[in-house]
Parts: sequence; C-alpha cells; structure tokens
Amino acid sequence: MTGITLAVPSKGRLEELTREWFAARGLTISRPGGARSYLGVMEGEPDVTVRFFPASEIARELIRGNIDIGVTGRDLIHETSETGPDSVHFARSLEFGHADVVIAVPEAWIDVTHLHDLADVASDFRSRHKRWLRIATKYITITRQHFARAGIAEYRIVESLGATEAAPASGVADIVVDITSTGSTLAANGLRVLDDGVMLKSEANLIVSRTADWPEGKKKKLNSLLTQLAAEPL
Amino acid sequence: MTNAAMRRAQLEALVEAQGGCRATPPLLLPADPYFDLAGEEFGRRLLLTADLTGAEHCLRPEFTLPIVRDYIADGTRQPAAFTYLGPIFRQRETGPAEFDQAGIELLAQPDGEVALDQVFTFARAALSIYGLPTHIRLGGVGLFEALLVQADMPAAWRPRIRHRFGHTEAMERLLARLEAAHDSPRQEQPTRDVLIEDVTARMVSSGLSLSEGRTPEEIADRYLEQQALDAAHVPAQTLKLLRDYLAISGDVLSALRQIEALAESHKLMLGAPIRAIRRHLDKLGEAQVSFDAGFSPRLDYYTGIVFEMTGRNGAVLASGGQYDRLLERLGATAPIAASGCALWVDRLEAEVSA
Repeated sequence: MTGITLAVPSKGRLEELTREWFAARGLTISRPGGARSYLGVMEGEPDVTVRFFPASEIARELIRGNIDIGVTGRDLIHETSETGPDSVHFARSLEFGHADVVIAVPEAWIDVTHLHDLADVASDFRSRHKRWLRIATKYITITRQHFARAGIAEYRIVESLGATEAAPASGVADIVVDITSTGSTLAANGLRVLDDGVMLKSEANLIVSRTADWPEGKKKKLNSLLTQLAAEPL
Repeated sequence: MTNAAMRRAQLEALVEAQGGCRATPPLLLPADPYFDLAGEEFGRRLLLTADLTGAEHCLRPEFTLPIVRDYIADGTRQPAAFTYLGPIFRQRETGPAEFDQAGIELLAQPDGEVALDQVFTFARAALSIYGLPTHIRLGGVGLFEALLVQADMPAAWRPRIRHRFGHTEAMERLLARLEAAHDSPRQEQPTRDVLIEDVTARMVSSGLSLSEGRTPEEIADRYLEQQALDAAHVPAQTLKLLRDYLAISGDVLSALRQIEALAESHKLMLGAPIRAIRRHLDKLGEAQVSFDAGFSPRLDYYTGIVFEMTGRNGAVLASGGQYDRLLERLGATAPIAASGCALWVDRLEAEVSA
C-alpha cells in the first residue's frame, strides 16, 4: 500500500486555515460530501486520502500510527502521551495557531513571580492548608513533566475541560496551567503568567507519524509531497 | 524446570524464609493515598480506573503503602516484618505495565540499624540467586540533614534547600540563585499592613476567596520573608560547603574520608551519621559500595540511609533504605521506625539472560 492518509482538523478556523495553507501551495483539499462528511480528496493527488478529524484525535492517531501525516497543534502531541514527541516528526510549522501553554497564578500572589517561588509555596502548602496546592488544567501530561523537571511534586491536578481560567475564582483550584495566545483572558480573570511560566510554545504543525508503516515507495511519495510543501523530509 | 523457573522458585523461598508475614494486598487500591503521599510525579505512573461513584482506583503500583496502612490500622505498634512477591502495575516508557516486585518491610524494629542490615542481606541474597555481583550505591539523608542543621545560614533557607535534596537540577538552580543574590540591590519595602491591604484588594477584585486558599496575610508574610531572604545571604562559605559536599561521589571509604575532612574544616559534627554508615559497611563485606552525597529518593519520608543496588548500565535492581517518617505521614500518631527495599524481578532476570 503506497497511499498516504492525511488528517486535517474537521471544523472551525483551524480547518479553514489548514485548507487555505495547502491551497496556497497548489494542493486543494475538497470535501465532496460537504461539511458533514469525514472524507476528503486532494486534487491531483490520487494517492493521498484526506480525513477530517478533531485536532486532539489527529494527535492521538499520529502517535499510534493509524494515520500517516496530519495537521494539529504541537501542544496536543506533547499532551496526548509522554512519548508523543518521539513518535512523530514535526515536518514544519504552518505559522498559525500560535499559543503558549503557561503557568498562571492569581495576580494577588505578589510573592510568586517564578517557578522557584511556586516550589516554595507548594512545599509547605499542605501543612498550612491541610490539602495540596491544586492546579486546574487540561494539560495533565505537560504539567506533570514540566513540574517534575522543576522539582515540584507537592500538588494535585484538577482536570479542567473548559474555562480553566475561572478555576481560582470558583475555588476549584489555586492556580492554572492553560493555553493562551495573548494572555488577555488570563489577565481578565486576575491571573498572571509567571516570569518563567511558559512551558511550551505551540503552533499548528504538519506532522508525520514515525510509528506508521513507511515502505520505500510510500516514503518516497511522502517526501516528494513534503518537499513540495517546503517541509523537512522524513 | 528451566533455569529461570528455578531462580523464581528460589526467590519465592527467600521471600518466605524471612520469618515475616507474607503480605498480599489487593490488586485494586484506592488511588488517593498514593497522590497524597507521593504527589503527581508518582501519580502519572499509576494505571487508573474509576468506579460507578467516580472514585478513583489504581492497580497496585507497589506494596509498601498498603502494607503500612494495614499495619497502622491494626494499631498493634509491635515489631513486624512483612515480605511480598507479586505483580505491580506502572506506566512505563518501555516494557510491559505489569511486572513483578519482591521486597521486605521491617516496621517498629527495636534497632533500626540491625533492621537495615537485614534489608541489605535480603537484597544481596536475591541478587546472588541471579548470580549477580553486588554494586551498592548509598545515600545519606540523615547525613545531609545533620550537615544542613549545622551549616551557617539564615534558618528560613534550610527547608528550601532540604526540599531540593535529591533533585540535582533543582538544587543546582537554587545554589546558583543564592550565589548570584549577593550583589542584588535592596529596595525599600512597604509595611505588612499596606501589603495585606493591597493583596486583599487584588483578591477581592478577582473574586478569590480570602480564606479557602492562601490568605492575604500568608502572601504578605511570604513576600516580606522573600525580600528578607534575598537580603539575608547564605554565606559564600556555606554555599561552597554545600557544593563541595554534594559533589562527593565514589568509593564509599574515600567519600566518607572526604566528608570527614569537610566536617573538620567547617567545624561540623557529623560523627554519628558517618559512624552509622561505617557500621553497615562492616557487614557488607565483598560488595562494591559507593557513596553519592547528593543521592536521595524525592520523597520526604526517607530518613537515615538509602540505597540502590545496580546492574549493568546502571539499571536499578533493588532500592530501599530507612523511612522513619513514612508511618507518621500515613496517620500513625507516634514515630515508628521503618526500613525495607523493593526488588525489580524482571530486571534481575534480564541481567541473567543478557
């Protein structure tokens, strides 16, 4: 089998930008079945099957090797699995979807400006408050890895599936790890990003699965496609 | 019987022969105690599942915690010995998530040093079943705590330094920060009352509870403490002592001599913890023993001496030590001595076949 499966985001601004990006490089993706169809075609490229997926599923399927290449955020590759970044090849940035995964604390915490302050606060939080410092986030894997590297172990994650920035005010958590492009949502909720609080800089990427099968003919086809897109070959 | 099955049978026999109680905690355990004890860093290794009420459970990731919890619940506080051998479950980057662990737990023993000797003997016997030489890496938690208590520095820095013990990068960053702090200019600080008022106003305006989490007083106090700390320098000589000490690593006898020399030149009394290490060495005979001053598990309930036994390429085959603070952390009302170790059975077998 030399056919290549390309997964692109199935809805919203991300879908639009992705299709525009490919079109600008002479590769038009169309969705013959309309917006409710999950199968697409790349005009003039009969070997490429296009599938429309939610962005987080694209990350998961790339890591598992069920799809060959895809467009999704770098943050989702890091978040889906600790081994995610090693399971894929970031072929190139698409230069949209810029956002940072950051650590933000209540603006009132004037004594906490850096991670090392947070380490101090976390280490005696339990003896002061009879509970662990709580961090609201949907980025569980990224948070755990980053905090482990920083030597912070005394905290609990509260999984948050939306409106993470509201968690401190609603009393669900003390601080947040969230994604932000301008920081304005965080600021509007009285949160401040630590001076060294950027954990990951993310943007939309064209990503190749390293765990998918790459027989010679298929790899050749992939690399010629990547070259056409000015992306780094596998 | 294959050789592997024979070794396994011998390991079973060793586990049974320790004169203790063979512990068989359930495979499915509540997850919260693990998060409570070891935080998210260990939590990410758990295989989690939830029941109908949403309560989180994990597949048994190790044996110590359920054994110790049962012991505390029994309330006897009599000396007790437990051994175990069976499957545990952890998320790992390589290798299956289910693998066997064997080990020993000695609780409330009258002499903690004798107990640790028994732990060493048990681990070495296990290695010899697999025909492996004993390479022991020792760490001194008690030694570092004794040094820290005596080292000249503002008291507030001690817990911050202790907290980073065992995490080389975090410790390095802190020491570098302390070294650099020496010429930072000092600004005039607002008073505590002004700060509390300011923090309260900020919290109220962003809708934060003033009592549920960190309070305005706590934040103001830590802010002032932080300013005071930045001004209250750890003497350069102390920083050098810490660096020199943490860099000591290698053959145990020469490492201990270096530590004695360091203690001598800084006028520190480290005799007792050093003697404790030497006493164990007499019993370790042929084993190749190294001491690494910066080595410690990242769990604050470890006390006295900690160790790892390693194979080729540094694979950890056995790890353990003394953890006298564990039982209190799990709810015991008085300090109870504890020591033990865990053996990585799949790695032992892998050493043989490689």
